[in-house]
Amino acid sequence: MPELILTLLRLIFLALVYLFIWQVARAIARHLGLGRSEGGSRRAGNRVVVVRSDSQAGLAFAVNGATVIGRSDQADVKLEDPYASEFHLRLVSQEGALTVSDLGSTNGTYVNGRRITTPTALQRGDALQVGKTVMEVR
Amino acid sequence: MTRTVEGGLLTGAAVLAAFGVTLVNLAGGGSLDARVGLTFVVMLLAFGGVHLAIRRWAPSASNALLPPAALLTALGLAEIHRLDPARAALQQWWLLIAAGLAVGMLRIFATTRLDTIRRYRNLLLAGALVLLVLPLLPSSGPIPIKGLEANGSRLWVLIDLGITEMRFQPGEIAKLIVVLFLASYLAERQSSLADRPRKVGPFHLPEPRQLFPLVLVWAASLGVLVGQRDLGASLLLFGAFVGMLYTATGRPAYLAVGGLLAVGGGFAAYRVFDHVVRRVEAWISPFEHFEGSGYQVAQAWFGMGTGSLSGSGLGLGRPDLIPNADTDFIFAAIAEELGFAGSIAVIAAFAMLVAVGFGIALRSRDRFRKLTAAGLTWVFALQTLLILGGVLRLVPLTGITLPFVSYGGSSLVGNFLLVGLLARISHEEQT
Repeated sequence: MPELILTLLRLIFLALVYLFIWQVARAIARHLGLGRSEGGSRRAGNRVVVVRSDSQAGLAFAVNGATVIGRSDQADVKLEDPYASEFHLRLVSQEGALTVSDLGSTNGTYVNGRRITTPTALQRGDALQVGKTVMEVR
Repeated sequence: MTRTVEGGLLTGAAVLAAFGVTLVNLAGGGSLDARVGLTFVVMLLAFGGVHLAIRRWAPSASNALLPPAALLTALGLAEIHRLDPARAALQQWWLLIAAGLAVGMLRIFATTRLDTIRRYRNLLLAGALVLLVLPLLPSSGPIPIKGLEANGSRLWVLIDLGITEMRFQPGEIAKLIVVLFLASYLAERQSSLADRPRKVGPFHLPEPRQLFPLVLVWAASLGVLVGQRDLGASLLLFGAFVGMLYTATGRPAYLAVGGLLAVGGGFAAYRVFDHVVRRVEAWISPFEHFEGSGYQVAQAWFGMGTGSLSGSGLGLGRPDLIPNADTDFIFAAIAEELGFAGSIAVIAAFAMLVAVGFGIALRSRDRFRKLTAAGLTWVFALQTLLILGGVLRLVPLTGITLPFVSYGGSSLVGNFLLVGLLARISHEEQT
């Protein structure tokens, strides 16, 4: 086997290895990108409606950027709920995805009945509970 | 990435493996033979099988796990074929067995979720300990399961089946079980381990009793070191535990204390064991001990040194001069024959797998799954770092395999199960 052909084949082999790695890297990048803009039915809404509350049922607001919810007058959305903390949670809407994070509240934030400890992605129809107030993502 | 892309990439890896074997044959003056087609078919059967199992039983799993593993296996098969065609044939059988076991595991967890394992926590611990102790069985006698000593370490088990014998390293499976046990243990103790009421100067210190499990695992890994004279397995066991403690609590103090304990244990081992002294000699000054302990490391350096940018070509270098080139030193053989480009490709594939593994852990909401994914990735990453570092003379050599690349059936089985578990975890997190 002439040496030239062997050298060429070796370089082709290495090129194929790198083509493979490039494809995997691209696929991983696309995979990571998918998480943010899933599209279709799993896309979260950015409107939040209070569905159960002593005094605020029916209150609706849209989340654009970051919205802080709590009992304080300085919160973006003020809750009249004695179990809510001054600054209870933060909703962030980014590229069509809605995320909720608890701001160290005393009584916790519940998504679909489960207390969250880390920032959690919300989807259309998820129930968000703070104290006695229940909100729904639409 | 869609499943279809994943399937395409896996086929690509099979083509690469067959291409590599062809290059070896051409370099040896031979021509195309059945081995080339066989390599392609075996790669396709093994990874295609796991791929189909994931499609069926874990459809939401991350699909970035299999392709890098397939690339590493392909490069490994080509290089093992170059060094020892008989062993490459054996390795292909092991590849099929490993894939079969991974498929079986995915099938089992399709009906019983991974959480079920937590109920059998103590059984897991007992099983792992039994597996770790197995190689200490007498190497001759009436029992059909015998311990076996190789290269100064006692970590092999030989099963006498009458007609034929089977050898494997139970430690490769034990490390996965240990991770599952630790994950379920730490998932329950997370908060108490993260508390640090004591303050000394600017440092918050954990309570002494919180350090108890740390010391216990440290003692267990020292036990492995003493009983089996295996530096690699004991470092891996302890490192994985420290990594998982850090993941569970987010306290860097555990990394510091763990590092100190590891260095202390290593130093004590250096004072007590001859084989550790030889390893350190070979690490610090391989050329002064060229005739003895340093021979392997020195030959690996010569090999890697001649590799240059694109290597000598598969089958055209002399990696056969390095003792154990197909197991511990496979990276040196690849670096010689595929050069800098080839070795960077191997490292890139490992980096991808580790990144995907930690990504799965980061996205997991459930504590047990998060810790399991993180622990498995720690084991995988540490093993890769230890053996690559050993070959490159950054750390003393520890006799462990390079995952997916090295020749070795038990290692292949262990790593396939590891990737299968990661796939299962990522599936359960999505649903």
